[in-house]
Amino acid sequence: MKIPEQVRRLGLVIGIIVVGVLGTRFFLIPRSLISDELHQASTVQREVAKPVKFAGSSTCEGCHEEVSGRVRKGYHKNLMCEGCHGAAARHAEDPGQGKPFAPRDRKFCPVCHSYDASRPTGFPQINPTAHNPVKPCITCHNPHDPVPPKTIEACSACHPQIQRTTAVSSHALLKCTTCHVVPAQHKKTPRSALPSKPEGREFCGTCHAKGATERDAPKVDLSTHGGRFLCWQCHYPHLPEGRG
Amino acid sequence: MNAERVRDLYELLDQVTGYIYPNEIEIRWSILIVVYPYLTGLVAGAFILASLVKVFKVKEVEPTYRLSLLTALAFLLVAPLPLLFHLGRPERSFEIFLTPNPRSAMAMFGFVYAWYLMAVLLLEIWFEFRRDLVLLARASRGLLKWVYRVLSLFSTDISEAALVFDRRAIRAITIIGIPSAFLLHGYVGFIFGSVKANPWWSSVLMPIVFLMSAIVSGIALVIFLYMVLTAIRDHPIDMRCLDTMVSYLFYAIIVDFSLEALDFIQRLYESEESVKILGTLITSKLFLSLLVLQILLGMLVPLGILVIARVWTFNDDMRKLLYFASVILIQVGIFSTRWNVVIGGQLFSKSLRGLMAYKMEVVSIEGLLAALVLLVLPFIILAVMIRVLPTEPLEDRVTVPSKAPAPESPEILPLPTSGS
Repeated sequence: MKIPEQVRRLGLVIGIIVVGVLGTRFFLIPRSLISDELHQASTVQREVAKPVKFAGSSTCEGCHEEVSGRVRKGYHKNLMCEGCHGAAARHAEDPGQGKPFAPRDRKFCPVCHSYDASRPTGFPQINPTAHNPVKPCITCHNPHDPVPPKTIEACSACHPQIQRTTAVSSHALLKCTTCHVVPAQHKKTPRSALPSKPEGREFCGTCHAKGATERDAPKVDLSTHGGRFLCWQCHYPHLPEGRG
Repeated sequence: MNAERVRDLYELLDQVTGYIYPNEIEIRWSILIVVYPYLTGLVAGAFILASLVKVFKVKEVEPTYRLSLLTALAFLLVAPLPLLFHLGRPERSFEIFLTPNPRSAMAMFGFVYAWYLMAVLLLEIWFEFRRDLVLLARASRGLLKWVYRVLSLFSTDISEAALVFDRRAIRAITIIGIPSAFLLHGYVGFIFGSVKANPWWSSVLMPIVFLMSAIVSGIALVIFLYMVLTAIRDHPIDMRCLDTMVSYLFYAIIVDFSLEALDFIQRLYESEESVKILGTLITSKLFLSLLVLQILLGMLVPLGILVIARVWTFNDDMRKLLYFASVILIQVGIFSTRWNVVIGGQLFSKSLRGLMAYKMEVVSIEGLLAALVLLVLPFIILAVMIRVLPTEPLEDRVTVPSKAPAPESPEILPLPTSGS
């Protein structure tokens, strides 16, 4: 039977397409893209060829025995050293070279500890804008043994709300008696023997005035800042507003 | 995820009702995934209409045969674009052809699509238009002559024996084409119907419901295009053809409506644990798009119009008006159907205790503007195709406009009727 002319032409086009597809499939594409085994093997080879950047926690333990001993007993025991300090293979080879990075600002810890509803119940989470703003996390928390810091609890039996508020503020580590003089009688007859309260701007100035020795406290010029107002007319001392 | 996207998602929190899981706030399948089944549905429907002529010998709809085929092709060319726009790395999509994974339903779509495009639609169109392409190649000059020669693959044989072969080939391809068209759109329904974790989608009826709504939308689209084209060309509408198409449309709507009602009643009767949240979904988030647009305006009103058009005797102009109104409403209804399936299925939480909200972007690649472009693009492609390919079989004598100055009447070129 004679093949019609149009079928011959169509057959030629279809043939070119089929040959093109099959040629691409069987000759042009590398075999490693098609075979699972070869694909995995080439991936391994590619990864192995990359330079090693991480030393591994066991290497760190060789020199930093004391710190890693603390870490392995604390809540961060499952974390690798280089998870926070960055790749340290160079440092491991030559301790004088490539000193590992140490996160000291407030951006790092909230990567794991900022509030997120999908984190498991009981996982320590904070709101970074409200939780003790300004200060770096390591002021109160030791990342190598991150137990919740001991905040001042002496007055919390009667003043729990103030205690809880202050505990997450930048004044968390100040004792109540830093600002208040509490007579011994106050614990027996609280209403008749009231504690003192600061009376003037100069009191806050002992930490916050220019030239004050307290290093972390924000400084203002008392002669120009706030005019005739007292500090606590704008700033609540139990929760000084953050600027973080 | 960038900060702007996070901010947008925060705004949605106010619109969440009940309890949802944290990762459910973002609706991942956007309006583009609504456009995709809508477009493939139009393709399948238009092809089924075309097959009525060749397989079932419905001579009345012959005038729309070529238009249906070209419509199917124009929409099929655009159909995968929404998916490509949606992909993060669209340039990798060709890999599904080169390293096929037969266990992935989504990957297999590539092959269903390629089969339908290359083995069914293009072949049928080529055989159907070959004679005219040969005639046009002979009658044209310059670049256009070469376009026609290339499109006809340089074939020249238009003897009666060759044309008989063409007709047989078309019939054979159409017979293969019907199950292929069913496969193309049934597949889209299958993808949704097989998501067993989603009670709104998981149903064996899904491929069949998708298919019937595809036939409804495809026939309605061809009716719309036929009416618009004849109006633009100032040709008279073949009312026998129009009435026949509308009667097929009418039966298709009834079957589609019955299937959807059946699906609904069965879900209601089964009353699985999801029925409560789905009820809330329908009456709150999907009230407008499901009850008003899909069922009332997109289904009951056009059905009513078509019943009125069949029961009462109207003149041709009145019938045309009624038909035109109903096909437009049907398009709105079928688009809403796709919306309700795709977006509706993502608006309730897997906890079955809360509802989310979908905020459509406007200018992004997954936004409203991209969707509109993808909906308009097939019409532009179709307009170009109709310019190049005649929607009615050419007479043996072809009119070719001669070069300037414009003559009173076109030059008539006699053409040979057999190949050389």
